[in-house]
Amino acid sequence: MTDEELMRVRGIRPEGAYTATVLPKGLRRLPKGCDELATEHLILNAGPQHPSTHGVLHILLELDGEEVVAAEASLGYLHRGVEKLAESRRYHQVGTLLDRADYVSGLHSETAFAMAVEQLAGIEVPRKASWIRSLTMELNRIASHLVWMGTFGLDAGAMAPFLYVMRDREAIIGILEAITGSRMMFNYVRPGGVLADLPVGIEQRIRAFLSTFPGFLDENDALLGGNEIFRARVQGVGVIDRHTALAFGMSGGCLRATGVDYDVRRARPYCAYPEIDFDVPLGERGDNWDRYVVRVGEMRQATRMVEQLLDGMPEGEFTAKVPKVLRPPAGESYAAVESPRGELGIHLVSDGGPTPYRMRVRSPAYYNLAVVDEALAGGLLADAIVTLGSLDIVLGEIDR
Amino acid sequence: MPASRLADILSKAGVACEPSDEALGAVVRLEAARITDALAALLSDGFGFLVDLFATDTGEAIELTYHVRSLKRLEDAYLKTTVTYDGEAPSVWRVYPAALYAEREAAELFGMAFPGHPNPKRLLTVEGTEPLLRKSIAIREAGEVRLS
Repeated sequence: MTDEELMRVRGIRPEGAYTATVLPKGLRRLPKGCDELATEHLILNAGPQHPSTHGVLHILLELDGEEVVAAEASLGYLHRGVEKLAESRRYHQVGTLLDRADYVSGLHSETAFAMAVEQLAGIEVPRKASWIRSLTMELNRIASHLVWMGTFGLDAGAMAPFLYVMRDREAIIGILEAITGSRMMFNYVRPGGVLADLPVGIEQRIRAFLSTFPGFLDENDALLGGNEIFRARVQGVGVIDRHTALAFGMSGGCLRATGVDYDVRRARPYCAYPEIDFDVPLGERGDNWDRYVVRVGEMRQATRMVEQLLDGMPEGEFTAKVPKVLRPPAGESYAAVESPRGELGIHLVSDGGPTPYRMRVRSPAYYNLAVVDEALAGGLLADAIVTLGSLDIVLGEIDR
Repeated sequence: MPASRLADILSKAGVACEPSDEALGAVVRLEAARITDALAALLSDGFGFLVDLFATDTGEAIELTYHVRSLKRLEDAYLKTTVTYDGEAPSVWRVYPAALYAEREAAELFGMAFPGHPNPKRLLTVEGTEPLLRKSIAIREAGEVRLS
């Protein structure tokens, strides 16, 4: 097929929708002297061991001077075959794999998996288990957004906020360790409920955190978001419009920054979210600044939610009665949660055996990253790094 | 949303399919050659969001699942098609650019092809890697498996 045939998009996408302007073929690799100025394109490898690529992302940038002509992400440096390994694990054991997929917010992927299994096996989750799940997930969301906030600052050259947000994150990690027994690799949410009840005295500890955190967050926000230089680096930079975001399957803060009001907690309510009150922060333009504002707003909302979840924490069982070896009936199920990065879905196929026949992880960062080939082109090299940081990618989840 | 409504949308676009209401949701099964037309019809009907695209090894063939959603009506639809091992399904990137990465991943992990993909390189694994997610590829070597 010729390029012209590949590009024939008119008539397929409706009016007003995103249409590709350039064939997404990756790097152009234009030869030297492609114009009358004898321009030479430089291909720059950013990563896989570059601090601003947030893990092991290898991104190839084709540069015309300071301007990015084309960008292409090269993935797989952290590919461990989580989906394949899950086919050899019993349903209770898959959580350990998913912790290592999204290692910044493991509780979200664990919950998505547990919900998919519960749908398949028809397990009713006790009310208290749902509330504990929501509580730990919201704490995890704050911790994840704090990591993002710090590293995003680093990408733009702000060193100090990183140290402060890590201090606040440490408090949350300590709380999560007291609840789950582990700092990051929790394996706490199991099909049917959670592993253990909330420990004695955890409420006071969380309340102590809540009494200081909103003030710290305002300080951090003023330090980073109130900084003139930072604002100049992010405002109006890295604009991803609504049509592009939807066409590339973006979700979470990246999609809401474009003004699309889509949040899995609202659209497909799960756990305790239908019973508590929260707002969904929205952006307008979809630039780096909007993504920043949306995520900081989400942290404030998560703080509100944690308070309500503590106040209304019901009495009762923390897990349903689940057989030691689960054998869900043959069938398929899909369950999704709003992870800090977007819609994290687990699609399970069961053949009635003790292990999943097929597990597919719908990774939000994977779809959010796919847009870089389109979004970075036309910008400056320094802006490309900031835009990449604003997408909040976690490579463990992208490569799985 | 019942699967019969999906079938109506597709039949208007001239695509024959087999609807079924499953625990998963509304599912339609159709032949691989018509998948682009079917998705284009769904897109015009408001299913503007490709949630996911993935393959499954059924033991006899490779089953492709296209999960699409209308964000306005909050409706999900699943399109399924089967292709033979080493078979091919047309690339749907012009309808949903989100499929660009997902198709590359499915192609390398299942050893099939998506003709029409503008950048059909490997995404996650290096050249020469076997199609890892096929059932015929063992997770461990026989000697490594601990017998219970």
